[in-house]
Amino acid sequence: MYEACPECDLLLNPAAPEPGDKAHCPRCGYLLQRPRKQSIERTLALSLAGLILIVPANLLPMVGIKIFGNSHDGTLWSGVSALLKEDMWAVALLVLFSSVLLPLVNLGLAFLISFHLFIQKANNHLVRWMRWLQHLNEWAMLEVYALGIIVACVKLAGMAELRFGLGLYAFVALLIVNALLTIELDIYLFWQRIGQLTKR
Amino acid sequence: MLLKPLKTALTQGFMRCHDCGCLIKSKTETLCPVCGHPVSARKPHSIQRTVALIISALCLYVPANIFPIMSVTQLGIAETHTIVGGIATLIQSDMIPIALLVLVASILVPLMKLLGLTMLLLCVHYRWQVNARLFTQLYRIIAFVGRWSMLDIFMISILVALVDLGGVAQVIAGSAATAFAGVVVLTMFAAKSFDPRLLWDHQISNE
Repeated sequence: MYEACPECDLLLNPAAPEPGDKAHCPRCGYLLQRPRKQSIERTLALSLAGLILIVPANLLPMVGIKIFGNSHDGTLWSGVSALLKEDMWAVALLVLFSSVLLPLVNLGLAFLISFHLFIQKANNHLVRWMRWLQHLNEWAMLEVYALGIIVACVKLAGMAELRFGLGLYAFVALLIVNALLTIELDIYLFWQRIGQLTKR
Repeated sequence: MLLKPLKTALTQGFMRCHDCGCLIKSKTETLCPVCGHPVSARKPHSIQRTVALIISALCLYVPANIFPIMSVTQLGIAETHTIVGGIATLIQSDMIPIALLVLVASILVPLMKLLGLTMLLLCVHYRWQVNARLFTQLYRIIAFVGRWSMLDIFMISILVALVDLGGVAQVIAGSAATAFAGVVVLTMFAAKSFDPRLLWDHQISNE
């Protein structure tokens, strides 16, 4: 059975690279496969860790400021609610989705999928979850948000006193877990396993 | 790995499922046997969708740069900033690296995405003979870099939440923020709807 490169449509014999190696399309250089050791187990563990970390990252204050004796703490949510208060609902929704909801949804989906693959139990929704995960992945922008925090802090550093809360540490940990999750989740293998499970 | 040079799935009568990547015989099936999704050889209406999204993004790009993206009140004095103005303030206060970062994320990246996608579309439409590998790489950069433009939006949401002390110090988001968010979202969708395989389809000398 052949495969095709998704970006240049070249017909290929499936490569079987070792874990840690990469298979690129010979014509356009697209990264076809990037197998990892124990991809399913690691995805399960990392997504569980992420689901735990996302709670304090959302609820605890991240950055606080102090200007002229007035102090003010901010969580991930307070940006959304402040924008809503100013009737910027479109921007508020976008921030809500890309910094709170979609990271949560993605972690949840990764957990559900890897859990079902781990216990080898078929589920009617498995295919749908995997497809959602693939499409929603680029809309979760935790790392961009982290850069936003840095720029905002630099801008504020001149006019106010900054305080960093526990939520920020949880957020940084979540960021690392999320990055590892993206590396360890082998989409090729996941689709293969899902195909095998649903056929039976 | 290569079967024989220049054999594409399309010419051999196969279609690749957009989601799960399995190959399907074009003639017999229209639904993917693994994921049950409709399959087509290329992304449906790729060119039309991308053009429409780029034009909409261009329309929003103008108000995003003209109108103030936020207004800062300090001790009763209100000041409005456009995207460019915000960068200028950063440069004036000697924060050059951050200024460069914002410049890249909120001006260069959206502009590069719009111009780059337009070039890719022109290349497909006029069947230019180009180095398709290079153009595919350009496409990959455009697709990867898009989400980083959200930097400005996130920064404003954080500032708005933190600096909220009435007349003493307050940051309010401006109308350009909505327009700019629109530009980012539309260009992300545009990059997603463009099919890079179209770049390869009309190349005579496929290396």
